[in-house]
Amino acid sequence: MSQLTYASIDQTVLNTMSRPKRYYWAIVAVLFLGVLVGAACWTYQIFVGIGAGGQNNPVAWGTYLINFVFWVGIAHSGTLISAILHLFRAGWRNPIARAAETMTVFAVCIAGLFPFIHLGRVWQVMYMIPYPNQRLLWPNFLSPLMFDVIAISTYLTVSSLFWYTGLLPDLAAIRDRSEGTRKKIFTILSMGWTGAHEQWRHYTRGYLFFAALATPLVISVHSVVSWDFALGIVPGWHTTIFAPYFVAGAIHSGLAMVLTLMIPLRKIFNYQKIITKEVLENVAKTIVFTGLIVGFAYATEFFIAWYSQNSIEIEQFRWRVFGDYRWGFYFMAFCNTLIPLLFLFKKIRTTVATLFIISLIVNFGMWWERFVIIVGGVARGFSPHAWGLYAPSLIEYGIMLGSFCLFFFFFLLFAKHLPSVSMTEMKETLDHGGSHAG
Amino acid sequence: MQGKRYIMGLFKNEDQVVSTLAALKASAYKFQRVHSPIPSHKIMATLDLKKSKVGWFTLVGGILGLISGFALAVYCSVEWKLIVSGKPIISLIPFFIVGFEFTILFAVFGNVIGLLTQTRLPNYKGMEYYDPRCSGEHFGVLAACEPGQTEGLKDLFQNSGGEIKVFD
Repeated sequence: MSQLTYASIDQTVLNTMSRPKRYYWAIVAVLFLGVLVGAACWTYQIFVGIGAGGQNNPVAWGTYLINFVFWVGIAHSGTLISAILHLFRAGWRNPIARAAETMTVFAVCIAGLFPFIHLGRVWQVMYMIPYPNQRLLWPNFLSPLMFDVIAISTYLTVSSLFWYTGLLPDLAAIRDRSEGTRKKIFTILSMGWTGAHEQWRHYTRGYLFFAALATPLVISVHSVVSWDFALGIVPGWHTTIFAPYFVAGAIHSGLAMVLTLMIPLRKIFNYQKIITKEVLENVAKTIVFTGLIVGFAYATEFFIAWYSQNSIEIEQFRWRVFGDYRWGFYFMAFCNTLIPLLFLFKKIRTTVATLFIISLIVNFGMWWERFVIIVGGVARGFSPHAWGLYAPSLIEYGIMLGSFCLFFFFFLLFAKHLPSVSMTEMKETLDHGGSHAG
Repeated sequence: MQGKRYIMGLFKNEDQVVSTLAALKASAYKFQRVHSPIPSHKIMATLDLKKSKVGWFTLVGGILGLISGFALAVYCSVEWKLIVSGKPIISLIPFFIVGFEFTILFAVFGNVIGLLTQTRLPNYKGMEYYDPRCSGEHFGVLAACEPGQTEGLKDLFQNSGGEIKVFD
């Protein structure tokens, strides 16, 4: 990073915001088409009913809930990187913090869509809003699903505000280097920020509190998501390990998605001097750590099933390895715990191609982890006569495709229209090795 | 401050700013503010700034959030009594989760309100004595002087290694 200067950081980031070429808009258009496919499938489901999906007794929770948990998980590493690593003063997070935070905001938005999709009669979402109504009904705050409503909306609000606050000095920097309409837009967005010492005095303090508040929040959000399952008495779900297990898994998948996004971003936008290999290597090392926690959680589940001598739990976990969804289990065990261990080899974690491939594998494995947990539990419940299998319908695949396209669509728009690397924090890294040091 | 002349010294590193601030302090010129692209410890230490009050807004927000979260959950359960297995209608443990989330949410609202009120943003008119280079690679020290003292102030900035910008 020694070759970087304040001016070169500004120039590199501003170059990324130059007028997009035609192929950029072509990719955006393809992704938008994918979004339309998802929207069409959802619209079809709203008209014909939730039966358009493959969920049925006993598996009432399918890909909608899997994707919900998957996207909430993806959202977690953004806050890990921006808040938790900020509190630890880990300077290596600075080049990737902005993109990871943005990823968080978009992923929470998409995650938040899935409960709506899963509702079927989506307009009945108003039942979850506490307001005086003619029905004289009030939400039941004993239900983990209501915890979820509160937790996810809080997370979306907090992460958006945190993201915008972090963006403020950079918006001012762009305002000062733009002309015409762009200058007008960024003048409004930057709210008159001038970097005066009085502004920094309050800003650094406020940013520190943001990080301090986001840290417990991020842990609580995925714990709450895990309680959607753990508070039910379904075999394979009803366990106290779920909260830490889900939080670790969320960060694991989120870090993998950070690599998946950062590696092409680094190449396309010539960020090699800013997002150095050391940064990617540090993400890879953290993935090894979270992968080991996740692997430990997998093993603990089996141990507890055996140790409890509960025949239903034992059957659930026997079936997980040898039953109908065994491939899902092999994917999750292999992709999430064994493959990341390859990062223990320096050659692998410093080669961009292997980093990218392994990040995709971990994303794939983490999706399957959610499938195994969510579908596996209800498919093999207490009564053998109520056992049943589940396969997603085409409508569900369409909605899933739409969600992935929507995520990358948003991210692509962001990368070209806003600073995808925090110029301010990069400049601080040159001077202090820290970020918004309060 | 009518009749005063405003001059900004633009520097490329913090150490120059620190020495300029010391020189300004010892002079008759009136220091206004420093604009910088990053929050600088050295500059803040030289200016001997008080701790920001943003935290108080955050704290008040957090306390209000905790009370509101609990109050909402209690109110809803009292209004719609769903008795399960004879358990208490007001259950503190699950309601703590609602209280916790609201604590964070309202603390963040408090934090944002604190930030906006303390930094006085949005403020689109406050850029009168500002140089756009200050968000790039320059640190700008703004000082005011009497109309007859402008040359002295310019010299002070130039002697510290800065460029000059005079505001009309």
